[in-house]
Amino acid sequence: MTADARREVVVRAVNVHKAFGHAEVLRGVDVEIRRGEVCCLLGPSGSGKTTFLRCINHLEKINRGSLMVKDEYIGYRRRGQHLMELPQRKIARQRRGIGMVFQHFNLFPHMTVLENLMEGPVRVAGVPKLAARTRSLALLERVGLAEKAKSYPNELSGGQQQRVAIARALAMEPHLMLFDEPTSALDPELVGEVLDVMRGLARDGMTMIVVTHEMGFAREVGDTLVFMDGGRIVEAGHPREVLSNPRETRTQAFLSKVL
Amino acid sequence: METEEHVKLDRLDADVARPTSIDPTPSRSEGGFVTHQPTIDSGAAQSDMVVRPLRHPWRLASAVLVVILFVLLAVSLATNHNMNWGTVGDYLFSGTVMSGIVVTLYLTVLSMVVGIVGAVVVALMRLSENRVLSSVANLFLAFFRGTPVLVQLIFWGYLGFLYSRLTLGVPFTDMHLFSVDTNKVMTPIVAATLALGLNEAAYSSEIIRGGILSISRGQTDAAYSLGLTPRTTMFRIILPQAMRVIIPPMGNEVITMLKLTSLVTIIGGGDLMTNIQHVYAENFQVIPLLTVAAIWYIVLVTVLSVPQAWLERRYGRGHGDRTVARRGTLRLDRLRPRARGAMEVAR
Repeated sequence: MTADARREVVVRAVNVHKAFGHAEVLRGVDVEIRRGEVCCLLGPSGSGKTTFLRCINHLEKINRGSLMVKDEYIGYRRRGQHLMELPQRKIARQRRGIGMVFQHFNLFPHMTVLENLMEGPVRVAGVPKLAARTRSLALLERVGLAEKAKSYPNELSGGQQQRVAIARALAMEPHLMLFDEPTSALDPELVGEVLDVMRGLARDGMTMIVVTHEMGFAREVGDTLVFMDGGRIVEAGHPREVLSNPRETRTQAFLSKVL
Repeated sequence: METEEHVKLDRLDADVARPTSIDPTPSRSEGGFVTHQPTIDSGAAQSDMVVRPLRHPWRLASAVLVVILFVLLAVSLATNHNMNWGTVGDYLFSGTVMSGIVVTLYLTVLSMVVGIVGAVVVALMRLSENRVLSSVANLFLAFFRGTPVLVQLIFWGYLGFLYSRLTLGVPFTDMHLFSVDTNKVMTPIVAATLALGLNEAAYSSEIIRGGILSISRGQTDAAYSLGLTPRTTMFRIILPQAMRVIIPPMGNEVITMLKLTSLVTIIGGGDLMTNIQHVYAENFQVIPLLTVAAIWYIVLVTVLSVPQAWLERRYGRGHGDRTVARRGTLRLDRLRPRARGAMEVAR
């Protein structure tokens, strides 16, 4: 990996397998992501990138292998050679440090923008309402939406909603951010504002895993680019290298279609 | 925003007014169409044409017919001596009717509380991954939806025939906390609350389950990713959103319940209908007294629709686009047809 090897490993996936019924979606994924690294996951649809991302905060259970975030098995506790699934309350506690942004934003439509941001800190972290409010407003300022605090999500454009979703995830002060195709559902002219916010996050040193089709973003912001196909990692390396000089034929075939 | 739009509309009105005042060529025909001299067919004249909506003469004709029929019916009812409006007036606010209304409302509220709490429990059981819980919920549903509520009502009323004493204690021993005579506990009100409430729980559980299922998986994902527990997710994120889908059919259920309480006449419940029956059993004024009952049921149902509208607004927050659209349509409708036509031409 190209990221600074002296930095601590935040995500360590070893031989991760995942199947939905008989359909094997992940067939042994190994990857290490270090603190401050921006890792872009690329691959054709059905290659397992989104599933892998969802495994990292245990929105999907893995069937074999292990997945650790900050030296902690997510969703499991080790007993000898077994990983025992944890009760929901403990998994919820582990998820606090891992922010996630979804393709379809998934804002809570019955709450204002401000309430969306305060929900996590107040209900989960037990932050007093007033403090959570101040922090949330500061976060909205950061994504450039301070004046929308009292709006409901359906009054915002897609790009604004996604920026709120990023701010909502940041409100829990995560050490790792997962992005699941954050710009795929957006009109082309709204993609830029979301990528700008993500660029800012990367600059501030956030560890990020981004499932994306934005080659420009991957090339410019990414530290590593991981190309997946058929539930395995086919190729990984520095984005510029992989994009301009892919070694594997499957990577070449995919890039020739999308570039 | 508001003022800007008004200004724009005024300008449109002025545009429409222009052809008659400034342009001398068009003349108005009886139909209101602006006709032009055939020789003048410039682009400017075309843009001044006024669009008229289609006329609907049959709408007026059918409206008149229906109003006539309605008036005839009203007159016939008002002048029928058997209707005995005097008796209706005598009993409308009588003590026995008033006390019946109190019992009816009381029974409705009690049964709905039992029904809704039961419904949430049954719905969550049915959605549970625990097979035993979901099977038991299915059985509950099969029994209470599969038998007439009248049968259930009489069954609870005569529970004493099945269990003469109700005892809470340790099974297979004589130790017990309390023991009571069933017939003392199972008053008509208790029996009615149980029958109507449990029956309601069965029906409403499906409404609530449907509401929960209508919320997308993404909402749960988002809540979990913030670290919310499944329970908090259900009560803070899923159910509040499901309420929007649940309330309209639930309003129906409340209204149905209010009227279903009239069934307790069968076990002497002392509600509005029971008391009405007692009165006409004595004075044989069946129709006037049923009219009194009907009037009160209509009034109560109408009053009950008020909180429903309020609740719909309360839980519709964040789904404002529909009301915004409605406001927009209303404003368009308020425009005179001439101005609207001009807008279409302008486009």
